[in-house]
Amino acid sequence: MEIIAGLVLVACLFLLLGAGLWVTLSLFATGALGFLLFTDKPLFGGFGAIGQTLASTVWGASNSWALAALPLFIWMGEILFRSRLSDDLFSGLAPWLGRLPGSLLHVNILGCGIFAAVSGSSAATCVTVGKMSVPELQARGFDDRMILGTLAGSGTLGLLIPPSIILIVYGVAIEESIARLFLAGVGPGIMMLTLFMGFVALWALFNRTKMPAVEERLPLAEKLSRSRRLIPVVLLIGGVIGSIYVGVASPTDAAAVGVLLALGLVWSQGDLSRALMVESLMGATRTSCMIAFILAGAAFLTVAMGFSGLPRALAGWIGSLELSPYALLAALTVFFVVLGCFLDGISVVVLTTAVIVPMVEAVGIDRIWFGIFLVLVVEMSQITPPVGFNLFVIQGMTGQSVLAIARHALPFFLLLLVGVVLITLFPGIAVWLPNQMGR
Amino acid sequence: MRKALDTLYRASGIVAAVFLLAIAVTVLIQVGLNILDRIAVALTGTAVGLTLPSYAEFTGYFLTASTFFAGAYALKAGAHIRVTLVLQRLSPEARRRSELVCAVIGAVFAAYFTGWVGLLAWESWVFGDVSPGIVPVPIWIPQLSMVIGLLILTIALIDEAVVIARSGTPGRGAACDDDLAR
Repeated sequence: MEIIAGLVLVACLFLLLGAGLWVTLSLFATGALGFLLFTDKPLFGGFGAIGQTLASTVWGASNSWALAALPLFIWMGEILFRSRLSDDLFSGLAPWLGRLPGSLLHVNILGCGIFAAVSGSSAATCVTVGKMSVPELQARGFDDRMILGTLAGSGTLGLLIPPSIILIVYGVAIEESIARLFLAGVGPGIMMLTLFMGFVALWALFNRTKMPAVEERLPLAEKLSRSRRLIPVVLLIGGVIGSIYVGVASPTDAAAVGVLLALGLVWSQGDLSRALMVESLMGATRTSCMIAFILAGAAFLTVAMGFSGLPRALAGWIGSLELSPYALLAALTVFFVVLGCFLDGISVVVLTTAVIVPMVEAVGIDRIWFGIFLVLVVEMSQITPPVGFNLFVIQGMTGQSVLAIARHALPFFLLLLVGVVLITLFPGIAVWLPNQMGR
Repeated sequence: MRKALDTLYRASGIVAAVFLLAIAVTVLIQVGLNILDRIAVALTGTAVGLTLPSYAEFTGYFLTASTFFAGAYALKAGAHIRVTLVLQRLSPEARRRSELVCAVIGAVFAAYFTGWVGLLAWESWVFGDVSPGIVPVPIWIPQLSMVIGLLILTIALIDEAVVIARSGTPGRGAACDDDLAR
């Protein structure tokens, strides 16, 4: 009975989302419906009314020290997004990669890897790297499918490589250490970069005819001189992630220092203007407001779901099936990929934490590991039509149709799937690093 | 009227941005003090114990204020995401009706929310609740930022509903999720 009523609630949520109601409002409205269905709480009236739970839940969920890392990291990304970093990434990486099989296609992958480490957004990563590399690579005669495929695929790494906005959302929603989640993202991030680069190298070896001629060799000094402007960014990344790892800084501290260093970097390049300050700050204000509202809605829905008993019942049901964790994860992967076709990543994550995390924990799956699994699957959904943000971004840049770009990105979708399988078989890839950090 | 409302949303957006800036400044000062403390330990062997009193609480309160003051501004800028898959496929008239229903539901809910958060803040004031940290902050002050922010959001959603009902063209709040990708 409980399950049916709970499923009605989930169905109602999808109905509201599909009807085009703002995601945060859909969460709140479904939460309120849950209270009406499963509790005796009235809508109005004094003590114990739904509104009272609503107000206190949202107040509790919105003033949080850990969550303060979110707007700061978003701001840091917004600043660097408006900086000259995008030019520097191409000119700094290109001299080193020309002789690898796959040559300059690797600029897309490594450039995305680097920008992902200063920004938590996959759309921003895609734009920043792509706006410079796509025209440069096209001018040199690289295969269009590979240019766009590598960009769409590696752009998704923005979600995984710390600082990751989506991991902050997950960590805050399940009350888990964000520092540990960030560290858990490092290994899989490097793994995905390796997989992508390996694929491009192999592809280049088998498709020599589609690769333009290798460019001239540069002396080492010239290479270094062309990459010198990348050095501060690499130091910035090392500083932010390193200080979290060593434990001298919480993610919130590291984020604030990251903002200061990003501003310093832009200032040293002579680009720090009033407009850049205002635009980056207002952009960060809007985005973090949007995410914090969704988190508040999710917190309210989680309380309502708790009353419905659905998560408990679902966890019990899954437990009684005695599925192997592998079978459960396989089913969840399919479920998330389908869900991700229609919903953005953050919404997928908050819905998951309300209903699915209790179930997953009942089967004995580590919640930090599950966070990384979730991010990888959400990354896959960034490059699947009809709703894949990276596809929209690249469509905006190149004018190609979403479906065509999705086709180019398909190998990278499959590589992400390989990544999911690898971290399932070898969970250490994700959890080894955080476990090295003292509890 | 139009101009006054837009100024209101923009102004509350700026207030939100100032609170975001305040988060950065607060945390940076604390990080600076931590560094000084470490230097002191290295030099003299004892920590001075430099801390901004209750800085974690203050950061949280600034975050709440930033979030809620930005509500209406983010709505008008089309930053709140929604699924537009179905909306995009509707006829203009059907789409207008759905947008109107969304805005009305939003306005009703936001008004309800505002009322209850208002009551929460009022109760905190009556009972004299203060924050648990070193600096006892009366809780109603940060809670008031939620009330004001939600009130402006309610106004913005009513405004949105009126604009759609009158002109038939959805306001900026109806921007679809493709816009996010820009």
